[in-house]
Amino acid sequence: MTSLSRLIGLPLVALVLVCGVLGVQVASGGGTFEPLQPADPCAERAVTSRADGIDGLTERLVLLGIDGAACSLGVTREALTLELAQAGTRTDAEIDALREGLLAAVPRMKDDGSLPPASELVDEALDNADLNGLLETAIRAIPDSVVDAALKTDDVLTRAIDDLDLRALLANLDSRDDLDAQIQIAITQAVKDSLAARLRDLL
Amino acid sequence: MAPLLAVTVALVLADSAVVTLALPDILRHLDASVAQVAWVLIAFNLVLGLTAVPAAVVFARSQPRVVSAAGIAVFAGSSAWCAVAQSIEVLIAARCLQALGGALALVGCLELLVAVYGERRGVAAWVTAGVVGTAIGPFAGGVLTEVFSWQAIFVVQVPFAALAVPAALAVAATPDLTPDRHRPALRPNLTLALLSAALTAALFLLVLLLVEGWRQSPGVAALTVSVVPVAALAARPLARLLRPSHEVEVASGCFLIAGGLAGLAILPSADLVWTIPPQALIGLGLGLTVDQLTSRAMEMRLPRVRHAAWTISARHVGVVVGLMILTPVFTADLQDAQVPAQEAITSLVLDAELLPEDKISIAEALGGELSQQQGRVPDLSHAFATADLPSEERPAAARLERDLDAQLERAATWAFRDSFLIGAGLALLALLTVVWPHRRKTP
Repeated sequence: MTSLSRLIGLPLVALVLVCGVLGVQVASGGGTFEPLQPADPCAERAVTSRADGIDGLTERLVLLGIDGAACSLGVTREALTLELAQAGTRTDAEIDALREGLLAAVPRMKDDGSLPPASELVDEALDNADLNGLLETAIRAIPDSVVDAALKTDDVLTRAIDDLDLRALLANLDSRDDLDAQIQIAITQAVKDSLAARLRDLL
Repeated sequence: MAPLLAVTVALVLADSAVVTLALPDILRHLDASVAQVAWVLIAFNLVLGLTAVPAAVVFARSQPRVVSAAGIAVFAGSSAWCAVAQSIEVLIAARCLQALGGALALVGCLELLVAVYGERRGVAAWVTAGVVGTAIGPFAGGVLTEVFSWQAIFVVQVPFAALAVPAALAVAATPDLTPDRHRPALRPNLTLALLSAALTAALFLLVLLLVEGWRQSPGVAALTVSVVPVAALAARPLARLLRPSHEVEVASGCFLIAGGLAGLAILPSADLVWTIPPQALIGLGLGLTVDQLTSRAMEMRLPRVRHAAWTISARHVGVVVGLMILTPVFTADLQDAQVPAQEAITSLVLDAELLPEDKISIAEALGGELSQQQGRVPDLSHAFATADLPSEERPAAARLERDLDAQLERAATWAFRDSFLIGAGLALLALLTVVWPHRRKTP
């Protein structure tokens, strides 16, 4: 064996082995094996829900609303969600951003056709509402076309979001019953206000 | 007699890293923090590194067989003490005593092996036993932890060491009264120290990544890291084939270790298979360097036992330096990885194909689990097991659990990246000490 091969033989083998291993790893995604990067909240995101009716509508609205709020606060949707899930007081900026995000989500859903007409939600709303049996039967008897003409989903949602005490709502995240009750009151009030406004317009 | 002494050498040097795979179990059993549990390793290596040379000085003035037997007996007794320790503080104290006995046993066994086998064969047996112990330590520790418990690692050492006590007393060795003729070999010892620090990164961090980050059992992790000693076996045939000079062989070994550590820093997935090629590089590098450097540091230097002690000191101080540098880095990186991991988990839960109320149930269970696991990689399976979900939602929940586990694996792997790169840097520094031009001696 020559002195040259004794000098460069092993280093050459080592170089080939190291370059081979590192090359294959980099080509297979080595160096980029990191946790999922949160998406830009200001970029449009398609949101879906496995639930139907009011639950599905609420989920899509909240997902879009959080996106919008995160965008205006300059944080990721995930960071804002984690922040809101923590106990503690909310800043005015967070409350305002969340309300604006939810309000902005309503026309977006209306534009993309994912906002159902009010008649599709009435039966479920009546099931959850604690109404007099006679009144409930009477409302169920109203034709869908009349319900849709009298109540616009986007108007009801906008009024409900405006009425909602978001600070109290976020403080009640741990109590599902308190949360439902608070939303129920806001929606009922929004329906009343929407009907009253519609009546005023007609008169 | 002599095989028992060689086994003792292997046991003492295996103890340097034998508990690595048991650290997560020790952490849980003794309710310790990651930083505290690292001291189970650091304490042993620090005491061994600091007492090896003084032990050699004491040794030169005493009866070799008596000092060796005393050292082995202390090692055996303190191993038993480690096995019954009920707190992390007691375990660390027992490990310090174990290292003290180990230092006396190591230097003593060298002289006794030389007395039995003769100079050349005795030193070769001592060096080989040390390399074998260092290489298979983590594997043996992992298997014992998996099959029995972490205490078994210490229990199995007791009978071997106890049998080595009469074996040491039976060897008729005379005290080595050779005056201190040579200075310690600075360059090979420095290279040895830097390489030991780098190899610590390889073994300690890889094991933690496998067990804590990827949730592998100690047995699977042990099997995985056994690639290192197996690959080390290929080093001698390769060196015989290419017949490089000593410097070229050590430099190539350092480069292979640096390359292997860089490979561990850029793993493309959490599949165990991907750890094999980088580990093979490290094992090959280990086989080309450690015994060569140890022999070179002792070659033609007297008294032999003193220079052997310097190599032990260099190796174990190197391990301590490695642990001291890497432990704060990876614990801080693991802490920092929590935010991206939590955000990735939040993202997947928000977009999961589950009903809203089921998402909320899972989010509540995950929140509870994550808050209890500060500073450690959480186990999410409990959250999914306790979440109140209807049976038809279970398949989607299982998919989500798999996706979340994958995110945690990604976060953990990412968190270890800098530490592996620092390890690679240490191996490159070791390479620099080899290729740095020698100062010409003035005539």
